[in-house]
Amino acid sequence: MLRNSVLNGISRHRVAAVTGFLLVFPWLMPYEALAVNVLIFGLYAMGFNLLFGYTGMLSFGHAAFLGVGSYGTGIVMVHYGWPWYLAIPAGVILASLFGVVIGWMAIRTRGIYFSMVTLALAQCVYFIFYKAESLTGGENGLRGIKLETIDFLGLQIDLLNPTNKYYFLLIFVVMTLWFVSRVLSSPFGAVIETIRENEKRSAACGYDVARTKLVAFVLSAAICGLAGSLRALHLSVVPVDSLHYLTSGQAVMMALLGGMGTFFGPFVGAAAFLLIEDVVTNITKYWQFVAGAVFMTFVLFFPRGIWGSILHWLRQR
Amino acid sequence: MFDLKLLILQMVTGVALGSVFVLLSIGLSLIFGMLTVVNFAHGAYFMVGAYVGVYALGVTGNFWLSLVIVPLAVGALGLLTERFLVRPLYGRGIDYPLLLTFGLSYVMMDLVRMVFGSDGQPIGTPPGLGGAVDIGVGNFPVYRLFLIVATAIIVAALWLFIEKTRFGLIIRAGARDPEIVRVLGIDVSKAWLLVFGLGTAIAGLSGILAAPIRAVTPEMGIPVLIEAFVVTVVGGMGSLPGAIVAGLLVGIVYSLSSLYVPDFADTSIFVLMALVLLVRPQGLFGRAGLMS
Amino acid sequence: MNSNGLSTSVPASTGPGGAIAESAGSPVQKAAQPILATENVTMQFGPFVALNNVSASFESNKLTAIIGPNGAGKSTFFNLVSGAFAPTLGRIRFQGRDITGMAQHEFARMGIAKSFQITNVFKLLSAHENVRVAAQMRRTRFELLRPRADLKDLIDQADALLHRVGLTGLRDKRAGDLAHGQQRCLEIAMALACEPQLLLLDEPTAGMSPEETLAMMDLITSLAEERTVILVEHKMKLVMGICQRLVVLHHGEVLAEGTPDDIRTNDEVKRVYLGQSI
Repeated sequence: MLRNSVLNGISRHRVAAVTGFLLVFPWLMPYEALAVNVLIFGLYAMGFNLLFGYTGMLSFGHAAFLGVGSYGTGIVMVHYGWPWYLAIPAGVILASLFGVVIGWMAIRTRGIYFSMVTLALAQCVYFIFYKAESLTGGENGLRGIKLETIDFLGLQIDLLNPTNKYYFLLIFVVMTLWFVSRVLSSPFGAVIETIRENEKRSAACGYDVARTKLVAFVLSAAICGLAGSLRALHLSVVPVDSLHYLTSGQAVMMALLGGMGTFFGPFVGAAAFLLIEDVVTNITKYWQFVAGAVFMTFVLFFPRGIWGSILHWLRQR
Repeated sequence: MFDLKLLILQMVTGVALGSVFVLLSIGLSLIFGMLTVVNFAHGAYFMVGAYVGVYALGVTGNFWLSLVIVPLAVGALGLLTERFLVRPLYGRGIDYPLLLTFGLSYVMMDLVRMVFGSDGQPIGTPPGLGGAVDIGVGNFPVYRLFLIVATAIIVAALWLFIEKTRFGLIIRAGARDPEIVRVLGIDVSKAWLLVFGLGTAIAGLSGILAAPIRAVTPEMGIPVLIEAFVVTVVGGMGSLPGAIVAGLLVGIVYSLSSLYVPDFADTSIFVLMALVLLVRPQGLFGRAGLMS
Repeated sequence: MNSNGLSTSVPASTGPGGAIAESAGSPVQKAAQPILATENVTMQFGPFVALNNVSASFESNKLTAIIGPNGAGKSTFFNLVSGAFAPTLGRIRFQGRDITGMAQHEFARMGIAKSFQITNVFKLLSAHENVRVAAQMRRTRFELLRPRADLKDLIDQADALLHRVGLTGLRDKRAGDLAHGQQRCLEIAMALACEPQLLLLDEPTAGMSPEETLAMMDLITSLAEERTVILVEHKMKLVMGICQRLVVLHHGEVLAEGTPDDIRTNDEVKRVYLGQSI
């Protein structure tokens, strides 16, 4: 069937397909800042999706990694004057370290506790960063992250231009897309799917489920950390509620809305979520109500999410 | 200088604080034990209970009446939730009811904002329960003593209900093996409905009981949910003695930290949780191998 | 000694025919050592004692069946030796090595593979992928960047195993969509994929039609020629025909051990299976 071979073709070249879409994406959005946010939160949702959609682990504390990535990058730039190309890896590495600690503790528990423990540990991180005022700015957040121009190969790129900023951030997103795609197609990618499907069976096959989960968790934390790094550069500040429960909830909502366990779903989910938020907040201040109601509707009736439902429908016909 | 009286006083404060945690955690454990649902809206029911209580108090002027109205009203809300929102999701996997209740908590928060506004609803200490009394080591607020006593009474009543009544038998059987409940021919869905209602009713009741000592805001359910989760992980899911011991322990740890290491008070309960996870991942009273 | 006066432990080196198992490595050494042994194993769930002081040993390269009426403790015993949980008391040895309390995933790595009583495959993955991922365990651990499509030998190995169990035509079908009997065969293929020296099968013919059962029995017999196979079965007739040794459990204790002839003529066993033709 032509449709199936087209779908399979896109699937095999998914990185190129998504990159292509994201290249033209700014023209589809009412304004560029929204497009940049979709990139950042799409990346955040992608990190979360690797853990929940593909490995089956529902974390409610992923804001910790987004926030730590942001703070990591922000702190080294503001307090120690590091350049951006060192600050971004710093944020990612710091988020990964937090991922090792939180992941190790959360994975030790019985499966049902996992969501609760990740939520609790993320809240702990929130309190720690809140209290460390001298480094993090406490309640007011971390301010003064300046990245206005980039000197690259003799070129001067003005990042105050939103279009330039978008394509600059897109480079990191595409690198991550490539990385995630490779991981999903690798032998490791097969193992995490068996864990999602049937943990007991996976262990009976000889796979060290706990260690595999930890690796997936740290990868997920690293990706969300990168999203946080980029967000810090974009906003020039790190608001303290980056680490808050509601930000963790955003990852969950976007991933489900878009389509869990699909490659493109996180970006669809981020775009849908942010667009709806943009529209609704202009009409009413009860955005949480709408978000919750929409989310519940999807949980009840469209658990595959937007992109997941589209894929399913296309494959059926 | 080490002040023993102050220590004991602070521990009693911790017991009062922990009483709220005990009630919340019992509700969570009941719902999980019977339905295998982690109720992410539990904090929201707590919050709604506080608001309904404050409203009832405003309308009737009678705190005791409010204490009766709140569990009935919030329990009814819980019944509706289980019947129409959670029940369709059984069989889909343990994450779905969790996700649904998470979304529900958002809706509930904003609904309360719509009706009562976004600012807090301060409620003073109810008449007759104000002031302080000398408990031997110093003066201690009467209301907090009331809280401890009220919690003890509620827990005792629950214990009697679960150990001595037929429905309680169903809860115990269901908690051990849902198949047994089915095999016994009992209408399982009715049992689920009522247990969910009971769990949320307790959450609501703890909300109004806590209202005089906590800020009543639409967001009050969030920190409380997290605290309830910490208690549950420390005590062990599905264990009622675990909920009691862990609830009091967490309360005491928090209040002692507030006194001796105030900068770390907020994180102290998480340190406790981490220690328990290291030493006994299933919780102090949790059954090893329960639902992996 | 159990209450019937029967010895509850059997020295490994002798079988009723005096046969010494042939296997790789020093023949005398290997024959003296059972491939699997439980030493005074007790399994208690709360107040309920499922297995009581069971010492049993299993010879290499033999096809042994664990039989017994319902509630005898067969499943518990199976779960213990296959790594699902650790015994309350006692030790378990594999090739002489103490494996008591080892994690589940170490069992397949050591060379003990199992199939489950209630079919337990990866329902959303294809039959081929089920076997391929089971085989993958031996080849890689944490390879993150290489496409698994490049591991051609695993793909071929999976195809060969599917062929062995007769599922070649259903290669690309979702495991959850396979018929019950086909899923059981898939389980066997997955167990074989980890290249085990010891294959543990829990009621492999459960829910199968008579034709499927015969085919499965043939498959098991051929598998037993290459490695040690231990079966749990409650269909006595089946095991009598193909097994070389039987261990009969009753009320959590070993009632009898021996060849099919020994068991057939054992009064205790006959009494327990009252009226059933053995």
